Amino acid sequence: MHDLGSFLMQTLQGLFYLLIFPGGLFALSLGLLFKGVDRKLEARFQRRVGPPILQPFIDCVKLAGKEEMVPRGAPRAYFVYAPLLGLVGMAVCAALLPIPGVTHGMTDMGDLLVYFYLMPVPAFALMMAGSSSGSPFGALGFSREMTIMLAYEIPLLLVILAVALLVGAPASAEFSLNEIVEFQLANGSFGLNPVMMPALLAYLMFLPGTMGVPPFDIPEAETEILEGPLLEYSGAGLAFFSLTSAIKSIVVLGLGVVLFFPGTLPGGILVNIPWFVLKCFMLMLVALTFVKVASARIRIDQAFRFYIKYPTPLAALSLILVWVSR
Amino acid sequence: MSFISDMTVRSPWLFRINAGSCNGCDVELATTAFIPRYDVERLGCKYCGSPRHADIVFITGPLTVRMKDKVLRVWHDIPEPKVTIAVGICPISGGVFRGGHPIAGPVDRYLPVDVNVPGCPPRPQAIMEGVLLAKDIWLERVRAQEEARQSLKKLGARPEEKKEEPFIDAGYL
Ligand code: SF4
Repeated sequence: MHDLGSFLMQTLQGLFYLLIFPGGLFALSLGLLFKGVDRKLEARFQRRVGPPILQPFIDCVKLAGKEEMVPRGAPRAYFVYAPLLGLVGMAVCAALLPIPGVTHGMTDMGDLLVYFYLMPVPAFALMMAGSSSGSPFGALGFSREMTIMLAYEIPLLLVILAVALLVGAPASAEFSLNEIVEFQLANGSFGLNPVMMPALLAYLMFLPGTMGVPPFDIPEAETEILEGPLLEYSGAGLAFFSLTSAIKSIVVLGLGVVLFFPGTLPGGILVNIPWFVLKCFMLMLVALTFVKVASARIRIDQAFRFYIKYPTPLAALSLILVWVSR
Repeated sequence: MSFISDMTVRSPWLFRINAGSCNGCDVELATTAFIPRYDVERLGCKYCGSPRHADIVFITGPLTVRMKDKVLRVWHDIPEPKVTIAVGICPISGGVFRGGHPIAGPVDRYLPVDVNVPGCPPRPQAIMEGVLLAKDIWLERVRAQEEARQSLKKLGARPEEKKEEPFIDAGYL
């Protein structure tokens, strides 16, 4: 009886994490809000009025009511479920995310390594979408998405390794997100640690690539390949892709906060949730919004070379420094 | 359900089809009507690259014989409910190209045009007024669609699944 009770409790707790608090509803609405603020800020930087802040919500409502089309010749199941795959992957990621001072996330379910494997799921969903839509633009988007993903995963892996080695020093590596937060709460944030500065820079460069914002919006370039993998999606399928990218923004920004700035304020949950949101927002401002308004799209080979040339050596530098100093 | 339809018309996504225009109207659409000075993004508008994402479609140019099939195919690829705006005098009457041998237009011979924005090329203000008129028409269509769905539900019938028949077989290459 007792076992059953605790099993039920755990399941309920897991569902809560997945659907409501760090994951699901919270991440979704926060992500859409961030997107709206981002669009508004972009417009203000260009001296425009800009859309209302709730525009992404309105867009999703509209898309839900539109007719959905499946191109003839596309494998139907593959085409229809690709957007859901990305959404589910990101919801799990968001559920695993610890919010410093508020929640530990689903600690026993996964750590940084699981993150590393789950993070490219939306990219895989895009690849599935592109390759199954049966249009040459989708195929082009697919190949570009794959290229840029290979490029930005390398610095991400090196950053993760550097963090894990620093936390696990001197003997081993520590991949648990909670341990990472605790370690930094005790020994100071990595974002202020000179050894980890290059890794922080590399992570900031990784952000626009994974979020697909200019100058790295190459796979979904609407002016050259007509939004690539998203070309054939209409209605709800398209809405799922925009929800996925909303959660993904919270996941990658939140991971940045956890890895580099997990400091908390005294005063419990009610202070620390806005504090976390504020930190995510600052990260978005620096790594996404400013970069977006200040740059134009580059070519895929330039993007690949950029990721090999700058973030990778920076992250490797951090890794070496950590290795030497332990 | 008027809340949903009111929300819906606040996010019109725009798509341009060039049906053989001299580019005057396209320049007007792309660079003049949407520069910071007029900024239609405040209405929630967004240019999208794919016809599948569009709600409001602009057609420019007199519809040449060579473009006719392609324009019709792209137009049929736009999901319902949609609104069509003809920009410039070319799609309305043929304009300066009227009577030329490569002209198949005017456009409303083949497509239902909802809003005409005359001018050669039209002023940006006129184009924006066209967008606003199109939004009203779109609202009516969305409401009609809602009502149709509701009455089907009342009757207990499942909405008939619409079989998608592409206008021309989707052999892209
Ligand atoms: S209406 Fe005038 S500007 Fe527009 S496409 Fe025709 S000729 Fe060109």
